[in-house]
Amino acid sequence: MFAFIIRRIIQAVIVMLVISFIGFSVQHSIGDPVRDMVGERVSEAEREALRDKLGLNDPFLTQYFRFVKNACYGDLGISYFHNKPTMHVILRKAPATIELIFATTIIILLITFPVGVYSAINPNSWFSRVVMGVSTIGVAVPVFLTAIILIYIFGVELQWLPAFGRGDTVNIWGWETGFLTKDGLLHLILPSISLASIMLPLYIRLIRSEMMEVLETEYIKFAWAKGLNRYRVWLLHAFKNTLLPVITVIGVEIGILFAFTLLTETVFQWQGMGFMFLEAVERADTALIVAYLVIVGVMFVVINTLVDVIYGFVNPMVRITGSK
Amino acid sequence: MKKIFILGIAALMLFSFGMTANAKTLKLALDADPKTMDIQEQLSGGMLQFSHWVFDPLVRWAQDMSFEPRLATKWERIDDLTMRFHLRKGVKFHSGNPFTAKDIVFTMNRFRKSADFKGLFEPFGETKIVDDYTVDITTKKPYALLLNMATYIFPLDSKFYTGTDDQGKPKDAVLKVGYSFAKMTLPSGTGAFKCTFREHGVKMVMERNADYWDKKSPGNVSKIILTPIKEEATRVAALLAGDVDFITPVPPQDFQRIQKDKKVDLMTYTGGRIITVQMNQKRLEPLRNKKVRQAIVYAVNNFGISKKIMKGTATPAGQMSPKGYYGYKETLAPRYNLRKAKKLMKEAGYADGFTATMIAPNNRYVNDEKIAEAFCAMLSKIKINVSLKTMPKAQYWDEFDRQPADFQMIGWHSDTEDSGNFYEFLSMTPNKETGYGQYNSGNYSNKAVDVLTLACQTETNLVTRTQMLQEIEQMIYDDAGYVPFHWQNHSYGVKKGVKAGPIINTLNFPYLGDLVIE
Amino acid sequence: MNTWQRFNNSYFFYSFKRDPVAIASFTIFIFLVGISFLAPVVAPFNPYDTSTIDIMDSELPPNWMEEGDDRFILGTDIQGRDLLSTMLYGLRTSVIIGIGAVLFQAFLGIIVGLTAGYLGGKIDAFLMRIADIQFSIPYLIVAIIASAVFQIAFGVDRFEALALPLLVIIIGISEWPKYARTVRASVLGERNKEYVEAARVIGLNRRLIMYRHILPNTMTPVLVISTIQVAQAVMSEAALSFLGLGMPITKPSLGSLINAGFEYVFSGSWWITLFPGILLVLFTLVIILFGDWLRDVMNPKLYKG
Repeated sequence: MFAFIIRRIIQAVIVMLVISFIGFSVQHSIGDPVRDMVGERVSEAEREALRDKLGLNDPFLTQYFRFVKNACYGDLGISYFHNKPTMHVILRKAPATIELIFATTIIILLITFPVGVYSAINPNSWFSRVVMGVSTIGVAVPVFLTAIILIYIFGVELQWLPAFGRGDTVNIWGWETGFLTKDGLLHLILPSISLASIMLPLYIRLIRSEMMEVLETEYIKFAWAKGLNRYRVWLLHAFKNTLLPVITVIGVEIGILFAFTLLTETVFQWQGMGFMFLEAVERADTALIVAYLVIVGVMFVVINTLVDVIYGFVNPMVRITGSK
Repeated sequence: MKKIFILGIAALMLFSFGMTANAKTLKLALDADPKTMDIQEQLSGGMLQFSHWVFDPLVRWAQDMSFEPRLATKWERIDDLTMRFHLRKGVKFHSGNPFTAKDIVFTMNRFRKSADFKGLFEPFGETKIVDDYTVDITTKKPYALLLNMATYIFPLDSKFYTGTDDQGKPKDAVLKVGYSFAKMTLPSGTGAFKCTFREHGVKMVMERNADYWDKKSPGNVSKIILTPIKEEATRVAALLAGDVDFITPVPPQDFQRIQKDKKVDLMTYTGGRIITVQMNQKRLEPLRNKKVRQAIVYAVNNFGISKKIMKGTATPAGQMSPKGYYGYKETLAPRYNLRKAKKLMKEAGYADGFTATMIAPNNRYVNDEKIAEAFCAMLSKIKINVSLKTMPKAQYWDEFDRQPADFQMIGWHSDTEDSGNFYEFLSMTPNKETGYGQYNSGNYSNKAVDVLTLACQTETNLVTRTQMLQEIEQMIYDDAGYVPFHWQNHSYGVKKGVKAGPIINTLNFPYLGDLVIE
Repeated sequence: MNTWQRFNNSYFFYSFKRDPVAIASFTIFIFLVGISFLAPVVAPFNPYDTSTIDIMDSELPPNWMEEGDDRFILGTDIQGRDLLSTMLYGLRTSVIIGIGAVLFQAFLGIIVGLTAGYLGGKIDAFLMRIADIQFSIPYLIVAIIASAVFQIAFGVDRFEALALPLLVIIIGISEWPKYARTVRASVLGERNKEYVEAARVIGLNRRLIMYRHILPNTMTPVLVISTIQVAQAVMSEAALSFLGLGMPITKPSLGSLINAGFEYVFSGSWWITLFPGILLVLFTLVIILFGDWLRDVMNPKLYKG
């Protein structure tokens, strides 16, 4: 276990180094941050002076080592747009994204478990087929289109739900949450539904096929033979065993979910990390881009590690000390 | 217990209803929020809009393009180099400090520290205090546009911005990156609104200044909540859903939807920004030929673009100066004529056309990408095959300077509301040292244009100056120095009852202080 | 018994014949791919030839509507292009991107996965760390960075010509670890089976064993995830278009058409959004449904993730 953790920490460090190196080497291709800082009419000489002052004219390696050195002290640079330490900016935007992903996950679980289990037990019922078919459309429509259509129906035409933003939030120990106000919850509904739409079919299929597989196993057959109550067999014996693969997949798919927050957040003007990142790309706020990449990289190493640890607890057969 | 709770809720609701009945809150959604709280840090349309809400200029442009006195009540020319301004008395900044001539001097001096404003205020000399409420603003040479420039002078609270802050840094510093007092602190201006909350990129709250000097202003908005909504479709949705009351800009493709909706209104106003494409004569041999350039101008269907892509909210242009500018010449109309274009190509010896490249931004001007695409399609009719690349503005301006393409798009709004500004930046021979022709990526060069444009700067006789400007406009027109498309209109979507009509203008500075909501 | 007879009698074909969903989705898929490659022949216009389009024809509704024009069956877009023709050409672009990207990622992934799985040890650890590191960054972000770099690196004049291969590479690069992991997992399963032992004992060299003996046995899961990956590559391209990093506007893919449609949701011109949307949904839907059937039939123990 100890070796495993060490290995993962080393991995995180390598991820940071590699990502920041790539980030640095591409930053010139993304654009010139100075352009967004000054008005359009400012002379080249003024811009050059500013670039000098920011150290953007230094040789690539000088800039990179300066970054790595500062990063060792926990300083990932200053965002050109926000004029604040990038770390500060990202942490400030993180709650919005985390809450969005959390709400989405809840929606996914609430819908997919009952449906998946039901369609595994009754694979040929019309209900299973219709749900499977409809949910497939969710993956086939680009998420930004789903989002704007939801806005059009529920925001503009019916006027039931707000069209953009997070609404009222409450600050609890520095965590800006929308979960505690009615307004905040209402604002959460459309973004999380559109984000969930891309994941529903995947999970329904997964749960269904896992469950069907488990139902074929010897010990379930044995349970039937013992004459156990069928709900007990389904929900206790069979369902429990479908959880394991689902956990692994959640771990992997959360990355995809995270990637798609870029699009959902943009359409809904949701003030999270994804929206921030795209704005940073658009403004060529290179310091913020690099910091974002580094933090996201580390975050995913952590998530993957957690998933592996949980997996190890649930399934003792997996030796997490061994190489993967 | 339950009863008390319900009573409480009822009381709260009554209270909040009572609040909304007499206090008018304006929920405003723009494409971006003000970039900084330091109005002298960045020169951009968005920052100037903000300056008009929280500060006041010495004079401002009225809807009919006359000068309207604001913090200056009167002004008079003393000599060729000096203009005397009489300041309004009894004006207080949001901080409570009184407004005097000292603030003007402070403001003028601070312009010189700002990279963005430095160039614009280059012609200015010393500012002298005559008494507490009188100042003399001087220029180094005779300068015809002094009053135009006074619209940029938003007096800052000198007391508020002097000294050192709690970090030990000077409060008057103008910094582009990192912390500066003026940038991060809610500003103290004289304007109708006072900033009370700001989270950059998320939300800004401005409340009505109770001591506002302009008691004649009909404005009744007591609070503005500004939210940036970048995505155009979402901005429109927010207005249609009733989540916001005022949006700008409105994408042309949604005009119809907004006009159809009974709960909202669409307002447009002619703007002075000319959208053009420059033809790089240094890069591509055929473009050196005047006939080819003319053929290209003749091939462009300005009316089609204005009508179809801009949905009628643009004025097709044949020249740079919009109507009302001194350089505007009635006869210089758009020249769309495909047959003539083909004939000119033949005469120039390019009947079989040629291939070329083009770059354009995709998030800078209204429908810029679509205009560029239409331009390429139009050129293909005279057999010029253009390969187009569009990019966001963060990448675009660097590329623009590097001139990697034969055709490059640029829009221009005159900083001084005067024709001369167009020629100085877009038509004069590029010169690194003087800075003239800085945005002339077509490398168009005509000695006569250069000489006349410089002469206009110091010419103070209005009649001669007008003639000179029109002569320049004619020369560039004849040379087909660039391709004009249209002047783009400003567009605003408002909730019914928001009387935006009287407060909008050709400069795209909605004077929200005077806004009336029914 | 020749190959055709063998195929005809196989369980695979038998279950295909008995599943109407599989038949329908496969037929539609073949039809769409066919018609998209025949686009230059069947489409009424050539949307790439801009000299035929006229801005005054822009935003005409479908021809059965009042203001419709008989030349344009499904109406026109903002530039005055025939929507039907543009959709067919766009579908072709999307098909090329989808299949090309999947071939590319499968190629990368199979080589890496096979090498890692069979050779094991340090090479395995090294290759899988690379895969891990790339997995640490969501693929869309990888694609954004990659396309920003490529777009600048290749300059303006060649961009239009290179956009298609670039997108194939970008989307390919961002998804190869999925294949590498799948292949590696099944190689690990096969490696110690008797037939491999046997081959080794005969003294066949390693490369031969890897490619001739183990590789064919890992193809089932590869085939199954490939269907889904094609659909996903098409969607990735749509997402990149939305971010302004997709095909150039003069040579739109289905994804960039949808993105254009995004702007027109509130305008009266519903056809600009609706028709390309339906086509994209139909296309991805049939791929996914066919993939589902494939998975059920082959029922491989997929490596999850």
